[in-house]
Amino acid sequence: MLRLLTLGMILIVVPVTQAQPASFADAKLVWTLPWDADWVTAVSFVGNDRIAAANKVGDMLVWNLPAAPGDKAPQPAHRLAGHTNEITRLLTTPDQRRLISASLDHSILLWDMKADLTEKASVVVLNERARYEAESRKKKMPAAIEVTVSVQKKSGELIGHKDWVLGLSMTPDGKTLVSGADRVVGPKKEKEGEIIVWDLPAGKEVRRWHTKGWPWGLAVSPDGQTVVASERIPLVFDSGSRSALMLWNAQTGEMKADLSKEIKERMSGAAYSPDGKWLAVCRGGEANGLSGKITLLDPATGKKLRETAPGHLDGATDMAFHPDGKHIFSAGRDTTVKIWQLADGKHVRDLGQGRGGQFKDWICAIAISPDGRRLAAADMAGMVHIWVLSK
Amino acid sequence: MFPTNTTGEHLGRRAFLKGALATAGGMAVANWGGLFNSQTIAQEAARQNKRCILLWANGGASQIDTFDMKPGRPTGGPFRPIQSNVNGIQVCEYLPLMARMTDKLAIIRSMRTQSPDHPDGIYHMHTCYKQNDRMPHPEIGAMIAKYLGNPEADLPSFVRMGSTGNAGSGYLGPRFEPFHIGQDGRLPYFSEPSVTPQVQERRTDLLNFMEREHAREHRAEAFESHRLAEQRALRLMRARQVFNTNEEWPRARDRYGNSTFGRGCFMARKLIEAGVPFVEVGQENYDSHADNFTVHKANMDVLDPAWSGLLQDLQERNLLANTLVVWMGEVGRTPYINNRAGRDHFIRAWTIVLAGGGVRGGQAYGSTDRDGREVVDNPVTEGDLFATIYTALGINPRVRHYVGARPIWATPEGSRPVRALLS
Amino acid sequence: MPGPRIFSLSVLMLVSSLTHAGDKPLRQVIDAEIKAGWQKEKVAPAARSSDSVFLRRVYLDLVGVIPSYDETTTFLKDADSQKRQKVIDKLLADPRYGPQQAHYWDLVLFGRRPQNIFDTRKHDSFTKWMAGEFVKNEPYDRIVKKMLSAEEEGSEMFYVQYRNAPEEAATAVARVFLGTQLQCARCHDHPFEHWTQKDFFGMAGFFVRLVVTDNGGPEGKRKFKIGEKSTGDVLFAASVKDLKPGQKGDPVKPKFLGGAELKEPEIPKGFKEPPLKGGVAPPKPSFSRKEKLAEWVVAKENPYFAKALANRIWSQFMGRGFVHPVDDLGSEQKVPSHPALLKAIAERLIEHKFDLKLAIREIVNSDAYQIGDTGPATEAMPTMYERARVRPLSVEELMPSLRVATAYDPAWMKNTGDYSEYFMRYFGEPNDGQGHFQGSLSEHLFLNNAPMIRQFAQPRKGNLADTLVTMKAPWEEKVERMFLSVLSRTPTAVERERFVKHLSGDAKIAPQLVEEAIWVLLSCSEFRFNR
Repeated sequence: MLRLLTLGMILIVVPVTQAQPASFADAKLVWTLPWDADWVTAVSFVGNDRIAAANKVGDMLVWNLPAAPGDKAPQPAHRLAGHTNEITRLLTTPDQRRLISASLDHSILLWDMKADLTEKASVVVLNERARYEAESRKKKMPAAIEVTVSVQKKSGELIGHKDWVLGLSMTPDGKTLVSGADRVVGPKKEKEGEIIVWDLPAGKEVRRWHTKGWPWGLAVSPDGQTVVASERIPLVFDSGSRSALMLWNAQTGEMKADLSKEIKERMSGAAYSPDGKWLAVCRGGEANGLSGKITLLDPATGKKLRETAPGHLDGATDMAFHPDGKHIFSAGRDTTVKIWQLADGKHVRDLGQGRGGQFKDWICAIAISPDGRRLAAADMAGMVHIWVLSK
Repeated sequence: MFPTNTTGEHLGRRAFLKGALATAGGMAVANWGGLFNSQTIAQEAARQNKRCILLWANGGASQIDTFDMKPGRPTGGPFRPIQSNVNGIQVCEYLPLMARMTDKLAIIRSMRTQSPDHPDGIYHMHTCYKQNDRMPHPEIGAMIAKYLGNPEADLPSFVRMGSTGNAGSGYLGPRFEPFHIGQDGRLPYFSEPSVTPQVQERRTDLLNFMEREHAREHRAEAFESHRLAEQRALRLMRARQVFNTNEEWPRARDRYGNSTFGRGCFMARKLIEAGVPFVEVGQENYDSHADNFTVHKANMDVLDPAWSGLLQDLQERNLLANTLVVWMGEVGRTPYINNRAGRDHFIRAWTIVLAGGGVRGGQAYGSTDRDGREVVDNPVTEGDLFATIYTALGINPRVRHYVGARPIWATPEGSRPVRALLS
Repeated sequence: MPGPRIFSLSVLMLVSSLTHAGDKPLRQVIDAEIKAGWQKEKVAPAARSSDSVFLRRVYLDLVGVIPSYDETTTFLKDADSQKRQKVIDKLLADPRYGPQQAHYWDLVLFGRRPQNIFDTRKHDSFTKWMAGEFVKNEPYDRIVKKMLSAEEEGSEMFYVQYRNAPEEAATAVARVFLGTQLQCARCHDHPFEHWTQKDFFGMAGFFVRLVVTDNGGPEGKRKFKIGEKSTGDVLFAASVKDLKPGQKGDPVKPKFLGGAELKEPEIPKGFKEPPLKGGVAPPKPSFSRKEKLAEWVVAKENPYFAKALANRIWSQFMGRGFVHPVDDLGSEQKVPSHPALLKAIAERLIEHKFDLKLAIREIVNSDAYQIGDTGPATEAMPTMYERARVRPLSVEELMPSLRVATAYDPAWMKNTGDYSEYFMRYFGEPNDGQGHFQGSLSEHLFLNNAPMIRQFAQPRKGNLADTLVTMKAPWEEKVERMFLSVLSRTPTAVERERFVKHLSGDAKIAPQLVEEAIWVLLSCSEFRFNR
C-alpha cells in the first residue's frame, strides 16, 4: 500500500521535473584559472561575479569574473593574507559582504569583501609548483607567470579552536555559524572533536561541545536548531578507531540522534538544502570502487531516503545545493562534479572527466553562485574551474 | 644501580634450585653458570639484564611528518614542528610528549635502505638481510632471544604483539620462534589448558615418569630438547597470568593512552620486567598512500602517549638504562605528496629512532637535504643499524652461525655499528 | 688448479676397484668398515637393536609410518631367524615405499620453504611423479636425468623453483646432485675451496636459457612447462663496482663443474626466438644446454654424482653422512669419516646401475643399521655410528603414525576439522638449520591443548582407547596392548606397574584415565623420534 502510494507520488512528480529547464545540458567550462603553488582546497563566490579560492599552504586569491563567457580568463586581483596552513572551508555571508575561512592553522578568519582593496601590492607566481618540480628534477625551468595583486588583511577572527578546523557551516540568514575542529588532547582524556556555535554578527561563541571523534562533515540546519556532524579517527586495528554520524541540538549542545547505525561509512561532507527539506551527506576517504556516494536523509528523523549512484571513484569531497531547490552537486576524488536530481536521486550529468590513471586528482571543493548560473571547482592540480551552468 | 624485583619473578624452578647470585643492589640474579659452562657467571648476569623493545610502525611511518620535518618546503605537509627538550632538535607538533623525552632519543635521520615494499621491507628490517637472499635468516627478536634469553625462564624469550614480522627464527630454530600474543594479552592458540589442573597434573606426572624411564638409556640431546620444550610449555601455561593486564590497565591507561597499541606498550614493559629479553609491539595503519596526514595525525595521537609512557615507565623502574627501545618500520615515506594526499614508500632517506639501553640520547644523527629527498651525511644501512643495536645489547654483530655447510653472520659483511649512537 | 687432477685420479681408482667389487655383499662391507672405525676410534658400540626397536625404525624409514599393533605382535612372535630380512623385503615391496621415498626426496629438493614459493608451495604433481619413479625402482641416474630434462609430466617442478634464477639453479644442482657447495663462489672466489666465480657462473650458464611457462590450473595442480631458449648468456663482471652505468658484464660460456667448457654450435645469424606461450609445449631450442647438463651430471665419468648419492642415501638411513653436512663433499677440507666405505658404496651404485632398492636393502640389512638405540652418546647422529641415530618424525610420518597408534579412522576428521596446517606449522621444521632437533613451545602447547590430539586419545568406537575401555581383560594386559600399539614394544615391569596404578586409580573415570595414559605415550619423546 505504502509502496504504491510512494510510486504514485513519483509518477506525479516526474512530469513536473521534466518541465524544468535545468537539465544543465548546456553547462560549459568557460575558464580555468591557474594557480599551482599548491592544491586549491576551497572556493566561494562573492556575489555572482567574484570568486575567492584558497589553497593548501594558506594563501587566498580573489578573481573578478568577466560578464561574458567568451572573454579571456581573468587574472587574480587580490590576495587575502593571514592563514599559515591549509584552508579547509570558505563561506560568503548572504549579504555578500564577508568571506569566512577555516584553516588547519586552528583559526577562523573574517574578511571584509567591501573594503578598499588597494592596500599593498604583491606578486603572485601562478606556476610556482611547475618551476619547483622542474628545478628539483633538473629540467628546464619554465618562465614565471607573474601577476601583481593587491593584498588584504583579515577583518576579524573567531577565536576558539585549538586544532585543525575542518567544518564550517552557516544558516542562510547569516546569523549562525558553526565550526568544528579536531581537538587532540593528552592521553588522560578521550580523543575529541570540538564543535562551536557562533553568533556571527556579534562574533561571539554561543555554545561549544565535544565529540568523540574528529568532526569532518559538518552542517547547521537553516533554522539554526540542528547541527549534523560526521566523525572520524582513521585508525585500523586499534580500539581508538571511530566513525560516526550524529545530530546535535545547536542550542544546548546535546545529542539529538545517533545515525551511526544507519550510516556506517565515514562521511566527508554534510549539507542542508537552504529550504531545510533535505540533509545530504557524502562518503569520503578512499573506499573501494564507486563508493563516494551521496546519501539523502530526512532532516527531521535522520532516516535514509535515497542514495545516489554511481558514486565518486575513491570518495566524495564536497556538496552544494543548487538555488533551484531541485538539484545537488557533488565533487570527488575522481576529478568530476556530478549533478543529481533531489526528487529521485537521478544522476543528471557530470561536469568534467576523470583525468586518467589509477588515481585521479581531486576536486577538493565546489561553490555555486547566488544566482545559480555559475559553478566554481577547486582542483587539487592547482586550478580553479569556472563553469557556466545556464545562460 | 640494578633494578630490583625485575627478573626474579618468572625464573624456572630449576634455575632457583641451582642457586642464585646476589648482586650489590640486592637483586637475585639466577646462576646460569651451570648451563653455560664456558662463560663466567658475572658475564651471564650482566648480559641477562639487557632487553630490547621494538615498536614497529607497520606500513612505514613518514619521517617528514614525525622526526625530520621540512617546514615551509613543498614536501613539508601541514604538520608544524615544535621544539623538543634538546636544543636544535624539533619534532612534530603531534608528538608533544615525545618532545619532552627527546633527551633520551637517538634519532637516525639518515637511513638509506634497499627493500622498498612491505614483504621485502618487513623481512629486511627484521633480519638486516634481503628477502631474496633465500636464506632462512632469523629476525632480530630471535637473535636477541638466543643471546639474551634465559633458557630456564617460564616465559618465551621473543614475544610479539601484532603481525609485523615475516621471517621468524629462521636458522636459529623453533626455540626462538616469536610467541604471538594480543596487545590485550590474548594468548596464541592452544595456550589455554584444555584439561583441568587435576588432569594436567596427573598426566604430567605420568609423562615425567615415562621421560625419566626413557632417559635412563637414551641420552641423545634431541630427547632432552623435547623434554625441555614440554617443561617450557607447562611452565608457560602456569605463568600465563602475567599476560593478563585487565586489573592494571585502567591505571596504566592514563599514561599509555587509551589505545590498543598503548596497551601493547604497557604489556611490553610488564614482560620486560618479568625477564623477557625481546618484545615487539606493532602499530598498524602507517601505510598512508592516501590521506597520509589524517592517518599520521591519528597514529601519532596513539604513538605519542604510548611510546613516551613506555620510556617514562621504564625509567621510573630503572629499566631504561638496560632496555633498548627501537622505533621503526619497514620503509619511510616519500617527501613527495601524491594526488591522494598520500605519501608512498621511500627508502632513500628516512628515520629510525633508538632510545634507552646502550644508546646516547639527545641527538639527531645524519641529515637529509632541505626537501628530504636524499641523505646529506652519515648514511646508515640496515646492517649498520643492526650492528648498532646488537652492539648496544652486548651481542657480537658478527657472530657466526651455520646453515648446513654455509656460514652466515648476524649482520651482512661490511656492516658497522655507528659508534656515535652508542653510549 | 689441483681440483680436476685429483678428481680424474679418483675416477681411475673407482674404475680399477670395480674389478674386484661384488665379491662380498655390500652389507658385509659396511659392517666390516664400521667395525674397523669403532676399533680405530676406540668406541664401544651399542648392542644390536631389539626386535621392537628395529621394527619401528625400519617401518618409519621404508614406509613412513609406525607398525600397527597387529604388525608388531606378528613380528615379535615370529620365531624365524630370517624375520628381519623378510620384513625388509616386504616393506620394500609395500605400496607405501614409493611415497615415503618421494617424501624424503621432497624435503631434499624442496624443503618446507621452497624457492619461488608461490609457484612451488604445493607441488603434489611432482611428489606423485617421484613416488611413481620409486615404486617402479627407476634407477637413480635416470630419475635425475629426467628431473634435469624436465620433459616428463610431473617432473617440471624442480626447475620451477628456480624460475628466472639460473644462479640458484646452479647452486641447487651442484649441492643436491653433486654434493658440492658452490654458492660462496657467487660473490667472490671461494675462500677455502678451489672454486672460482668462473666455475659458478659457468654452471649457471646451463640454466640461463630456461623458461618456465605457466599453463594454469588451481594451486597444487598448476601445470608448468620448462622451455629453453636458443640464446642468452650469463653476464659476469669481476666487480660490480667497476661497471659503468648500463654495463652488465661479459657473457660467460657454460662450463661443467671442474671440467671443460661446453662446446656448442654458433647461433645462426639472424636467428629469432620463437615465442613461448602458456598452454602449448615450448619449442625445442636449436641446441639444448639443459640436455648436455643432464647427460653430464649422471654420466658414469662424473666424479661427484655417485659419491653424492652414496653419502646422501647413507645419511638417509644412518643419520649422518660420511661427510657432514651431507651435501658438502666437494670440500677439500672435509675428510669422510669412512672414506673406503663411501667409495665402496659409490662403486656398488655404479656397478648396479644406480639401483636404489638394492642399495637400500643392503644398508638396512647391515648390523650397522640394526644397531641398538641406547648408550652414553649424546649426539643425535653419532659420528662413528656406535648408536642408532635419533631423528624426529616428520609431519608426514607423525600424522599417519598417530592414526596407526590409536586406530584412528580418518573419516572422523571430516567432523572434527583438519589440523594439518597447524601440524605443519608446529612440527614442520623442528631444527636449527644445522639439523639439530629443537623442541618448540608451540609444538607442546599443541600437544597439550589441541582438540585434535585429544581426539586421538579419547575413546571412540573402535579406536585404541575404546578397545582398552571395553575389553574384558586385566589392566596388565591393557597396558601391554597400549604400549605395543603406540610404542611398538611391550612395557617394562616398572612401566607396567606404574601404568596399572594410574589406570586403576578410580574406576568411575576409567575412560578419562585411559585417555590420559594414551596422551602420555603420544607425547613422550620416545614416540616423537625415530631411533
